[in-house]
Amino acid sequence: MDYNGAAIVAMKGKNCVAIASDRRFGVQAQTVSTNFKKIFEVHPQLYYGLGGLATDVLTLSEIFEYKLSMYKLREGRDISPKTFANLAASTLYERRFGPWFVEPVIAGLEKDGTPFVCGMDLIGALNFATDFIVSGTAKEQLYGMAESLWEPDLGPEDLFEIISQTLLNAQDRDALSGWGGVVTVITPEGATTRYLKSRMD
Amino acid sequence: METLLGIVGKDYTLLAADAVSARSIVVMKRGEDKSRPLNDHNLMVFTGEPGDAVNFAEFIQANLKLYEIRNATPLSTKAIASYTRRELADSLRSRNSYAVNLLIGGVDPKTKTPELYWMDYLGAMVKVNHGAHGYAAYFCSSVFDRHWKADMSLDEGIALLQKCLHELRTRLVVNQSVFIVKVVDSNGIREIQV
Amino acid sequence: MGSRRYDSRTTIFSPEGRLYQVEYAMEAISHAGTALGVLATDGVVLAAEKRTASKLLEQSVGAEKVYLLSDTTCTAVAGLTSDANTLVTYARQQAARYRTTYGESMPVEQLVQRMCDLKQGYTQFGGLRPFGVSFVYAGYDTHRGFQLYTSDPSGNYAGWRANCIGANSTNAQSILKSDYKDEITLSEAVSLAVKVLSKTMDSATITSEKIEFATLSLDKSGRVRFHSYSPEEIEGLLKKEGVNTQQPEEEK
Repeated sequence: MDYNGAAIVAMKGKNCVAIASDRRFGVQAQTVSTNFKKIFEVHPQLYYGLGGLATDVLTLSEIFEYKLSMYKLREGRDISPKTFANLAASTLYERRFGPWFVEPVIAGLEKDGTPFVCGMDLIGALNFATDFIVSGTAKEQLYGMAESLWEPDLGPEDLFEIISQTLLNAQDRDALSGWGGVVTVITPEGATTRYLKSRMD
Repeated sequence: METLLGIVGKDYTLLAADAVSARSIVVMKRGEDKSRPLNDHNLMVFTGEPGDAVNFAEFIQANLKLYEIRNATPLSTKAIASYTRRELADSLRSRNSYAVNLLIGGVDPKTKTPELYWMDYLGAMVKVNHGAHGYAAYFCSSVFDRHWKADMSLDEGIALLQKCLHELRTRLVVNQSVFIVKVVDSNGIREIQV
Repeated sequence: MGSRRYDSRTTIFSPEGRLYQVEYAMEAISHAGTALGVLATDGVVLAAEKRTASKLLEQSVGAEKVYLLSDTTCTAVAGLTSDANTLVTYARQQAARYRTTYGESMPVEQLVQRMCDLKQGYTQFGGLRPFGVSFVYAGYDTHRGFQLYTSDPSGNYAGWRANCIGANSTNAQSILKSDYKDEITLSEAVSLAVKVLSKTMDSATITSEKIEFATLSLDKSGRVRFHSYSPEEIEGLLKKEGVNTQQPEEEK
């Protein structure tokens, strides 16, 4: 869990949700790349982030891609956030005694527009939050920032500002994450993704 | 103690590996080629426990060859890298896992776009413009950050590689005297003297 | 019946060198609802005839003749729907697995080949019957662009510019042969498909309940777009092509 490093956070707003991550890929203290993808799109109303061991982030995103494409073809519709949360949790629990070292964060809007965020531990114990979810090596720092900045019923622009400040200031206090950030805000109209510049040291 | 270096240039990828085969403190051989061509336009360089590494590289090489014979279409660099990563990631959670770090470099012969993938023995993979494995990464990453730029000509790429090798020879305690350097471009793979 | 001794098992050749069970499977398909495909320069069209048995039958939510297999491939079926379901699921799994392994879409011919390897197995290994379905596949990949294939229960497959499977397929094929031209556009291919379907279907009037229609094309960003026609779009298409003009509505 502390080998590659990550900072991932998702927050609820008023009729919107946001999910953000850092962009570093490193092996312990050595940074290898600053454009590593940790947030993945399921469909425009549902995104998820994976924090933890980079190899498992990649493998698990591939497993989800497989399961989600089969789901979509079988059902003929997009998966709902709640259903995806349970799919992710049972996928993780399948490896109860040899787990994927990954803690997913899920953010999306339900079909009726209700915001949804949830997290889980590496064996799929779900945590349905009413406010925000954090994951990665900067988890503690993210909790501190989110606890002090987040408030209920933020609009999309305010939510973007709050989640960006939470991410940037948390990752600056974590040696293993940072080197740029990416934020996706999901509203009923669609998702917008913005890249953040940050300290590169 | 082993070194791998990779640079993406304008229309080529440059890959280098030290040519020393060592066991403990003894140099067993100089001139060991730690690279395997995967097809006409893709090359893998690797380090790791010699038996493991060569076996894994040749396993990938053979499977990609089989794919080409079966399907009469060559795979892209990205597809090759994804496939190799999957094999490593699956191997990691098997009883006997491969401990191999590698770089995969290639060029799309049609678009002439060069690509370089960095991969470690865990199966973590990332697409990079320049990459290094081993102790060399500590010395060369900063050289790359300072001197690498987009669309470098082959001469510029070789000059950058020479800077890296110079740094290794002056600052790394282990003297890696011999390197094998290969270029992949739309004409194929060839070895060059640096 | 000279064939009796040789058709009880799928794996036994008759003295004339034929596999009767496989031929029977193909015979079954020649009575099934027609499915056809036309390859155009900028896309592929698939069309199929639905044989709805009764007005009381609940129209199923999804399609029953045309299936999406992956982002870049789709197929129309003729034959036993239950057999088709099994094979469609298999094809979807193969395509999705390829994508997770190689990070790219599966080339169309490879997917067809995988399906046919499975189908072929059932003509050789004993105790099981062959799959009673033929497919028309439409797909796109970077190697060969848009492609059209058909496969039958024996596991044979071939690439086409236009072809038809199921009832009256020989009839349809001859129309396709005479009316197909090189450099055909997708909209012309759609017209051709409607025309062929209207001439080969048994029923006097064609309605949106009796056919399924789908196209594969590239959007502006170069991504493959699968479009399954809604009942309204099919009615519009039938009207545009003037298919039902000689048959007034009240005669139904």
